[in-house]
Amino acid sequence: MAVPVLEKPAAAPAPPPRRKPGQRLKVRNAVIGWTFILPNFLGFATLTLVPVLILMYLGFTSWNAFGQATWIGTENFQRLITDKTFHTALFNTFYYAAVHIPLTLGISLGLALLLNRKLRGMGFFRTVAFFPYITSIVAIAVVWNMLFSPDSGVINQFLMWIGIDNPPGWTTSTDWAMPAVIIVGTWRDMGYYMLLFLAGLQAIPGELYEAARVDGANGLRRFLNVTLPCLRPTTFFVTVMLTINSFKIFDLILVMTDGGPGTATLVLSQYIYRKGFEEYDFGYASAVAIVLFLICLVVTIVQFMVNKRRER
Amino acid sequence: MRRDLAMKRRLMAPASVLAAAALVLSACSGGDSSTSTSSDAGSDTGNDAASGEAVTLTLAGWSLATTPEFEALADGFMAANPNITIDVEDYDVNNYETQITADLAAGVAPDIYTVKQLMTFPTFQEGGQLMDVSDVAAEISPDVATLEHYEVDGITYAVPYRADAWYLYYNADLFETAGVEIPDGQWTWEDFDQAASDVTAGLAAAGNTDALGNYQHSWASTVQGFANAQGQGDGEFLEAEWDYMVPFYEEALARQAEGSQVDFGAITTNSLTYQGQFGTQKAAMMVMGSWYVATYLSQVESGDAESFSWGFAPVPQQTTETAENPVTFGSPTAMGINPAIDESKVSAAKAFLTYIASEDAAIALAEIGITPALTNDAVADAMFAKDGMPTDDLSRFAFTTHQTALEVPLGTDSPGLQTVLGDAHTAIMSGSVSPQDGIAEAMERAKSEVLD
Repeated sequence: MAVPVLEKPAAAPAPPPRRKPGQRLKVRNAVIGWTFILPNFLGFATLTLVPVLILMYLGFTSWNAFGQATWIGTENFQRLITDKTFHTALFNTFYYAAVHIPLTLGISLGLALLLNRKLRGMGFFRTVAFFPYITSIVAIAVVWNMLFSPDSGVINQFLMWIGIDNPPGWTTSTDWAMPAVIIVGTWRDMGYYMLLFLAGLQAIPGELYEAARVDGANGLRRFLNVTLPCLRPTTFFVTVMLTINSFKIFDLILVMTDGGPGTATLVLSQYIYRKGFEEYDFGYASAVAIVLFLICLVVTIVQFMVNKRRER
Repeated sequence: MRRDLAMKRRLMAPASVLAAAALVLSACSGGDSSTSTSSDAGSDTGNDAASGEAVTLTLAGWSLATTPEFEALADGFMAANPNITIDVEDYDVNNYETQITADLAAGVAPDIYTVKQLMTFPTFQEGGQLMDVSDVAAEISPDVATLEHYEVDGITYAVPYRADAWYLYYNADLFETAGVEIPDGQWTWEDFDQAASDVTAGLAAAGNTDALGNYQHSWASTVQGFANAQGQGDGEFLEAEWDYMVPFYEEALARQAEGSQVDFGAITTNSLTYQGQFGTQKAAMMVMGSWYVATYLSQVESGDAESFSWGFAPVPQQTTETAENPVTFGSPTAMGINPAIDESKVSAAKAFLTYIASEDAAIALAEIGITPALTNDAVADAMFAKDGMPTDDLSRFAFTTHQTALEVPLGTDSPGLQTVLGDAHTAIMSGSVSPQDGIAEAMERAKSEVLD
């Protein structure tokens, strides 16, 4: 962003006559551009890029944090093939992502449509919808856990009141713990993605709707043929972010269920944490992390390709 | 004018590099406070302990504001050795192992560090992160409990100063209200179950529906610790032959089903704390580690816990045969020397380790309610002289007499085995699987994933 702004004034001074015109200017522009990226890049390189590269190496070693990491080739990855807990974690991660992504996408788009009107007090409702996203995750987990409490929780009391005799055990049941976590995850994330959708919605020119109305399109037609196509860049961005964040889900599960009961909500990132920081098997943990990285990478590439094709 | 602009820009490039570097550096150095403190201490490296010159040692502890033991040990030692200064460095209690591991691997860990859980000792020892302190071990009293756990192939790597053991805490007032006899030191688990149910019924009959007979915290150790200590055959834990845990789970589930203790799900969903449950008289009994003695006393003082007539007894046994010397489980805490320590400081560090296992240190610890690794009559006197301590003989007996088995038998696989058992615990206690199936599944997982 900073670079194009800079280029304008940089072009202003007249180039000195005898030197190669443009050449120096180009170099200087590039240098200035780089210096502006540098602060961010240095931080990114030291805190993200280098650790990630080291991780790629550690995945092929056996290392307990002390001394030298021993190279063991693909042994860690062979272990992954037979590791049932890893398979459980992989399944749970996909379970979470497969439900959480469409649910959050739908609800946040719905909320954005609902709140994209000019009404008194709309700012208040938008803030309300955004609030869960900025609330401390630990507080969220504690409060929702109480709401989900099988005997004394508000949710089950309500379910019993409307006539459901055997309400689920939520976070204390292996079958219902994941749905419970997904509900909280969706509730927390919807406000953020709603905000992105709102920004996208407000960028759609009103004339398009007017024209559609003149042509006799009803509400649903206008949504399908005007809103959705115009929102496509936003939807793409939201989907990519949402997908990556869903596969990386960690904090919410750690504080809400800690992977339990049993391994019902154990996800990949928590499995990485356990293997590394609780069992001191950093090599194996790195191998799992590489798998998670590849999953995110492949899914994102597929999304990019699909988006490209639609663009044509 | 134009020239000025160009000039400004030319100056700006290096300036922004500097600004960037400053930003990045300050962002990096903000995170790790322990690094800076340990490098401060490093300025003393030229000094020689043996010559009696001033030496500064650094020591890793945690939550110094609420954990007075480190300061107590440091102060006691410094009073006797005025030429040695001990700087205690504060770590986060919940991430202590992770942080100390990172500091050790990076070479910035303190000279002496606490091995918080025995379970992680093999990791540090095999990783070459503990100095041979066999000469210290040879000097200290043979009564220091749990020292043998820190010995590998005849070499001692750490010295325990604290040895927590689990007791049965009881609220004598609630027992009286319920009209049930308080523990007499001869209880088996059956007696315990019976008492839990009698007290619950007695309290309800007396109109107290808030309190139950027992509170069993959600930790896996409240079941598995006893199973490992009292039910385990030779080496079964490390071989993942865990059938011996099944009856312990069946009893816990029976108490839960009967309603003589709070449901596991209610504990996890409502984030109940054991301090709150026992301290505010919601439970007449609770098995818990000896650290709770000091916690309860300080919570009474701060008003977080109610004051009532209380005491602690030996934990229930499998049979009355072991009542003379009851079997409980516990977890020792030790300190070891970082091999990266400056050579001139080694003798001072060893002197400190000798001190923490001494009677003086044990008394200093007992005075603040900590259970030291060395217990004798003098230490017990110091412990029970505290205000608010129970004065009955059974509490004193529980403190002085017990065989402490390890909560988790030691081996390199222990952390992995414990993870698997932790999953089994939440699955069984939440009622998602039966004890038999849950343990069978855990055994299978352990054998294919951990022991393989």
